[in-house]
Amino acid sequence: MAGIDLTATSPRTTLDVVGRSPASRRRLGRAALYVALGVIAVVMVVPFVWMVLTSLKTPADIAASPPTFLPTEWAWSNYADALAAAPFLTYARNSLVIAVSHTTINLLVASMAGYALARLRFRGSELVFLGFVAALMIPTYTKIIPEFLIVRFMPLFGGNDILGQGGTGWLDTWWALIVPGAVTPFAVFLFRQFYLDLPVELEEAARLDGVSELGIWARIMTPLVKPAFITVALLTFESSWNNFLWPLLVTRTDSMRVIQVGLSVFRTENDTQWAFLMAGTTLATLPMVVLFLLGQKYFVRGFANAGIK
Amino acid sequence: MDFSRRSFLTAMGLGTAAAVAGCATTSPSGSSAADPTGPVEGDITFLCALFEGATGKETLEGNLLKQFNEKYPDVNVTVDYTDYGSLNEKITTGLASGLMPDVVTLGVGWIPPFAFKKAIAPLPESLATRYTYEERVLEPSRFDGTLYALPMVLDTRIVAYRKDFFEEAGITGTPQNWDELREVAKQLTVKEGGKVTRVGFDPFSIDLRQCWETFLFGNSGELFSADGRQVLFDSPEGVASLQIFLDMMADGSADFAVSTEAGQPTTLQQGTSAIMMTNNSLYVQLQQQSPELVDKIGTFVLGNTNPAMLQGGTMVSQSASSKNPAAARALVEFLGSPDAVLVASEQRGSVPAISDLKDSEYVQGNPMVAFALENLSKARSEGGTPAWMEIREKIKPTLETAIVGQQTAQQAIDQLAGIANDAIGRL
Repeated sequence: MAGIDLTATSPRTTLDVVGRSPASRRRLGRAALYVALGVIAVVMVVPFVWMVLTSLKTPADIAASPPTFLPTEWAWSNYADALAAAPFLTYARNSLVIAVSHTTINLLVASMAGYALARLRFRGSELVFLGFVAALMIPTYTKIIPEFLIVRFMPLFGGNDILGQGGTGWLDTWWALIVPGAVTPFAVFLFRQFYLDLPVELEEAARLDGVSELGIWARIMTPLVKPAFITVALLTFESSWNNFLWPLLVTRTDSMRVIQVGLSVFRTENDTQWAFLMAGTTLATLPMVVLFLLGQKYFVRGFANAGIK
Repeated sequence: MDFSRRSFLTAMGLGTAAAVAGCATTSPSGSSAADPTGPVEGDITFLCALFEGATGKETLEGNLLKQFNEKYPDVNVTVDYTDYGSLNEKITTGLASGLMPDVVTLGVGWIPPFAFKKAIAPLPESLATRYTYEERVLEPSRFDGTLYALPMVLDTRIVAYRKDFFEEAGITGTPQNWDELREVAKQLTVKEGGKVTRVGFDPFSIDLRQCWETFLFGNSGELFSADGRQVLFDSPEGVASLQIFLDMMADGSADFAVSTEAGQPTTLQQGTSAIMMTNNSLYVQLQQQSPELVDKIGTFVLGNTNPAMLQGGTMVSQSASSKNPAAARALVEFLGSPDAVLVASEQRGSVPAISDLKDSEYVQGNPMVAFALENLSKARSEGGTPAWMEIREKIKPTLETAIVGQQTAQQAIDQLAGIANDAIGRL
């Protein structure tokens, strides 16, 4: 690099080669950024718009070739017909109860576990952490039958005796829907990473002031990892709300079924009733959209801090 | 190694069922529990993959089960609805935990695996003769010569074609063998500017497994030996049944990329194919989406050496471990009766399994269903081995490797035969 002065500045500091000022270049750059983001936003939003529009189309409109963007006839009755096909209000209530329960339990237990793994020194903590990391790698479907058997043979529930015999255990109950999968290793991992970043002086000062370990976790450290809580809450709620296979396997009555299982009624072996499916899906998506809009600031920050996408 | 949740669950479920039976109060083998004599009463569960759609629940519970309860007021039926894609998982977990539903719907090809595991109870032979069935229809209901299920609805894979395109091309008859099919497909293929805008033949709009099986049977091939212990599809007939698709792709008259997308009208409706493999439910779709094409679409049964139509469908069977076997048997008999079969068929545009129903208003008003019923003597079914649930999941991905050019048809069939032999060897 000899002979080149990297610190030398151009004599023209206010105008570029085509005569634009830095402010003008910034505006141009910002405009280009907005255009790019606008295009990406449109790409992301179009499937949702398409879903809503499909939910308002007649079968003939859905089959139109080439496809039409807007319905030629707005079939608002699709929503009423879809809702009449099954007890969707019951399904939605069940999904809400399960999603809220999962979210609450996961936030509480996983944050405590994450805090303990990040801030407390105890024998075997590294091994426990490695156990959680290993648990992240177990495919969901490999756990289904063992989990199902645990649920079915749960002692002293559903007519089972102390040895888990004679009844149905937790099957077709809230226990089966809520307890398995309520705490995820991913959430523990995420909380640990957040708690690790906090300065040690905070907890030391709190200890000197006589604050209990539970108090340090609840009053000193946890308020500083709010993005982690929002992120875990949204991810847990979303995965719980969208869960299909497990609720299908462990329930058999309509009163315990969830929204995603309910929606599957519109997918038949020979055909799919797209208008009804999209109407039901639109309604099922609404809570997630509202939740995201409410927590988007923290959600994005949480993802940025955790380095996940 | 290909891994799917269904194949995993099947292997795990069927494999662990016997081990878990020791923990269960009701043994999956439960042969003694399935005695159907005694009072028809009690609570039973019905695992149901039929009666889907917006009107399905009302059809079953508001209509059929009311009729059943009028006859058997002391039986309380709880219906456990599932989609067909998750039916195997539901049965497998039920079997593994010793809680098989009392009455289950099963697909064609599923009887040997579940009868072999003694998960379902044999039915008296008299039920096979109380109504008129084509023997081909009852074949998949049997295992080792014993009846285990009653067929309810059939879904046949047939060939549909555009009469107007045939007329434009001056083609007067439908192809009678594969050579004719290739020639006709080439004739019907349309290219504009070097790009194919209409393929002569679309075999890829139905499941590749079922399409290949249709061609295999049409070429006088077989999947397995009669006892289900020997693979027979790795014959020259089996390889040729896959090679024909590659040949037609090489001709330019078939294209893996030209098939019906989910939610879209079929390629036949869109005019991007002239002949396609389809399901008899196409007629209902035409009525809803493209009524102007109803008269322009015809059907035929294709074969090379032996015309064959693949018969899928849903059967109803009784658990071998039901605590109320008489009630379960009564429900199986009711669901296999003409009234229930007709209602179920009509609700989903399927073919009723009972031949006596060919004169019904529904069949007469649906030409594709009527066509399928008329040709049931040419119907062939998949399955035939107790290892079928494990093998069936592997067929499509293995055949696709040949379609996309990763290996030859011979290599794909050999690989599939290896997978099937391994699965049978584990029985």
